[in-house]
Amino acid sequence: MRNTGLAQVSNVTLVLAIMLYAIAMLAYAGDLAFGKRRASTVTSPGQRPARAEAVALVGAASGAELAGHAFPADPADPSELADLSGDAAASAAAHGAAGGGAAGSGNGRFRPGGAGLREPAVAQAGRSPWPQGPWLRAAFLLTCAGLALQSTAVATRGLAEHRVPWGNMYEFIGAITCAAVLVLILAAIRFRAYYLGLFVLLPVVLALAVDVVVIYTPPGQLVPALQSYWITIHVTAMIIAIGMFIFGAVVTVLYLLSSRHERRVAAGREAAAAGIMARLPGAETLDRLAYRAILFAFPAWTFAVIAGAMWADHAWGRYWGWDPKETWSFIIWLVYAAFLHARATAGWRGRRAAYIQLFGFACLMFNIVAVNLWISGMHSYAGVH
Amino acid sequence: MTQDLAGREASGDQAGAVSTAVDGAAVDGSQAETAADAAPSAGAAPQRFGVIGWLRWIWRQLTSMRTALVLLFLLALASVPGSVLPQQGIDPAAVSQYYAAHPALAPFLAKLSGFDVFGAPWFAAIYLLLFTSLAGCVLPRTYRLARSARQPPPKAPRHLGRLPQAAGFLTSGPPDQALAAAAGLLRRRRFRIRTGDGCVSAEKGYLHEVGNLAFHVALLGLLVSVALGGLFGYKANKLLVERETFANTPVGLDAFHPGRLVSASDLQPFSITLRKFTARYIASGVQRGQPSWFGASIRYNSRYGGQQHGYDLRVNHPLSVDGVQVFLIGHGYAPVFKVTDAHGVVRFDQAVPFIPVEQSGLTSAGVVKVPDARPRQLGFAGVFLPTEIVVGGRLVSAFPAPDYPRVSLVSYAGNLGLESGQPQSVYSLDTSRMRRLAVSPRPLAPGQSIVLPDGLGKLTFTGYRQWASLAITYDPGQLPALVSALTALAGLVLSFLVRRRRIFVRAGAAAEADEAVPSPGAADVDADQQATAVEVGGLTRSDAAGGFETEFAELASEIMQDVRGAALGQPGGEVAAAVPKGE
Repeated sequence: MRNTGLAQVSNVTLVLAIMLYAIAMLAYAGDLAFGKRRASTVTSPGQRPARAEAVALVGAASGAELAGHAFPADPADPSELADLSGDAAASAAAHGAAGGGAAGSGNGRFRPGGAGLREPAVAQAGRSPWPQGPWLRAAFLLTCAGLALQSTAVATRGLAEHRVPWGNMYEFIGAITCAAVLVLILAAIRFRAYYLGLFVLLPVVLALAVDVVVIYTPPGQLVPALQSYWITIHVTAMIIAIGMFIFGAVVTVLYLLSSRHERRVAAGREAAAAGIMARLPGAETLDRLAYRAILFAFPAWTFAVIAGAMWADHAWGRYWGWDPKETWSFIIWLVYAAFLHARATAGWRGRRAAYIQLFGFACLMFNIVAVNLWISGMHSYAGVH
Repeated sequence: MTQDLAGREASGDQAGAVSTAVDGAAVDGSQAETAADAAPSAGAAPQRFGVIGWLRWIWRQLTSMRTALVLLFLLALASVPGSVLPQQGIDPAAVSQYYAAHPALAPFLAKLSGFDVFGAPWFAAIYLLLFTSLAGCVLPRTYRLARSARQPPPKAPRHLGRLPQAAGFLTSGPPDQALAAAAGLLRRRRFRIRTGDGCVSAEKGYLHEVGNLAFHVALLGLLVSVALGGLFGYKANKLLVERETFANTPVGLDAFHPGRLVSASDLQPFSITLRKFTARYIASGVQRGQPSWFGASIRYNSRYGGQQHGYDLRVNHPLSVDGVQVFLIGHGYAPVFKVTDAHGVVRFDQAVPFIPVEQSGLTSAGVVKVPDARPRQLGFAGVFLPTEIVVGGRLVSAFPAPDYPRVSLVSYAGNLGLESGQPQSVYSLDTSRMRRLAVSPRPLAPGQSIVLPDGLGKLTFTGYRQWASLAITYDPGQLPALVSALTALAGLVLSFLVRRRRIFVRAGAAAEADEAVPSPGAADVDADQQATAVEVGGLTRSDAAGGFETEFAELASEIMQDVRGAALGQPGGEVAAAVPKGE
């Protein structure tokens, strides 16, 4: 029944994938350390034109802005501004981000067709969406190669077992880390957020190392309770949602660090160009990116829980029974719902909402680790001995 | 919860600031909302408000977003003990174990509904408050949405340049022509249009709020569905030994948990016979002993005396009969015993379900009670070992399949205590008034017997059968719950994907280069000679998924093309059609 040869292939490719991720991390770190120096996003409030700041705040939810500002604008590179052509908000924000004396463009009122209000133009294909610089390019290619290898590991494991390869904790952790890397790659391309590589890969590599060394489980069959087409729907949706939650949590941690850095800079206790934080795009962008991740993850999680309820109804005769795993899925849903509400409430957005999101992520980790291993219930499929 | 999930992104503090900078008209609704939200933050309890004032204050507190946040957290927090403590409704045996392990703590926890968290009054209080808060937020918002759907979009603010998105250009045609061209384009893009006084306002994306409201209303629907199941549904359990039959009546069931409005006569009277139960186990490797397949071959008829049907009941393959669902949820062994008393009369001959005490070898424990034995009642307690081996002098089962089945029993004679009137579990033996008999502890193979001392009788282990435990559930709230959940999901996705946005266009005679704002009055002066300045502004109240900037840039660019095209007498499409003023 089981194909040991394929299972071996899976084990070897997974180890190779971890190695590629580790090398990719080094390359990302190399980019942060030796890559082309970028202008600091952080300017002290006095330097920053008030108008640009207001516009940057107002434009908060826009995707083009995110895309345009995945990296701080480089004043030395005129194309930076060119690709934001056409709307005052974005260009004003770009001026603000560049820290230059762009106040004139903000205060100069709007003389249609004149210097104040720009003529509309569809944003041209500006900067390439691909990573810039040898370090970053190498790191990104390594990440993609690592994901390809990890996907091979997951696929061969499934082929070896003649079933969907997420039937126990070892396989599940492999799958959610795979999803997290996939989210990283997609987000990096979409938002030019390549700088996130190091920070997302760090927990991925750690989790995979624990997965391989501590909780490796040889391939095997599923218990009868898991022998259902619902495992493909419910668990796959969970994996995708968790991948996005992992990404969101990492970005949120960066947001908190970045926002701390900005406050310290504002207070004059830290140099604006100091440390890794100066290489990141600024708290505002990170906050939006994290929010975006949760906006996708939350409906995915909702769907996964609904699918789980439908499966539970099919297998156990009730769609909701307050099994520990179900209870914690509900708790996680509540906390992330609270995050979404908090982010839309004056006085709660920003750091407070970020802490709520991290709390939700802590609940998620508790559900994956503690509820699997220490609390017995109907979802006890971890298979860890 | 006065705000939509993501809508505050632009409508709250940030756009609020914009709207004060621009015009009240730009974001009419959000100001009221911001004001409503600001009230609780001030925290000022009304003084000398009277009863109505206080009620209003309490209502406002309850429906504020902060309260909703706190209630969400409270509900999450309140769920935690339900996952840590054993729950009566899920695992009563674990509750009993908890009582035994923590005799001092358990009664205290029971008083706090610690073993029935999800039915506890304090748990209900939290979610009812949360749903009240939700309803109190959804109702006014539905009203606002309905109102705004009937009204035209608000008037354009005076200074479009102060909007988050703004662009401007010059055209050679008159302002009216420019506005007509812009309105035509926006109308073709399915914007709702308001024209008048040198400006065009357009709004789109009402589905955002619709989705948001659908999500919240569906949550209320989910609560109602759950309540429906709790009132009119029932759950029952039955342990059925091979070749036995039961009828779906309160007497025929082992456990019956009716909903509050369910009586015994509401049970659907089908009957089920378990013909054969099959379990397969993995025989080697690290998963050795783990089940790989369960199946129960049953016969059922949906009414007494009705046609019998065969069915293969498996995990993930329930039986649906008379609107009720039957699930295979457990299995075990039932050794068959024959007991003869001192008079040589067979007093007992049946299969006794033993309950598994561990899963890897399915060692199962059970008791045999023979109240009819004379002169003394007889009782036996022991274990069934599917594959018996001896490890360090102890009997254990090495594998769950019956490869080497043995029964090991301790024999008692005396008074079983059944006449005391107190109900006894069939799975435990009260030996307080019984004497343990000196019998060789050697385990029995099928066919072997224990001959009791003093001529008290004989027990023969004649063989074993398997049993399956079935869960029988009827839940009329199931379908409504599914519909509610899917509606909530659809609403969620809709509210995240659709953004509600407004586009404003102003046109007037172009001002002198050093003049700050084009004066609307300038349009009267010699429109033919002077260039017309067109301003386009954009505002979104909810751009959760992002992308409004791009959309605005494209729209503004197309407006410019159409307006300039109209001015050159090359109308793009039906752009040139006159737009009635004032709508």
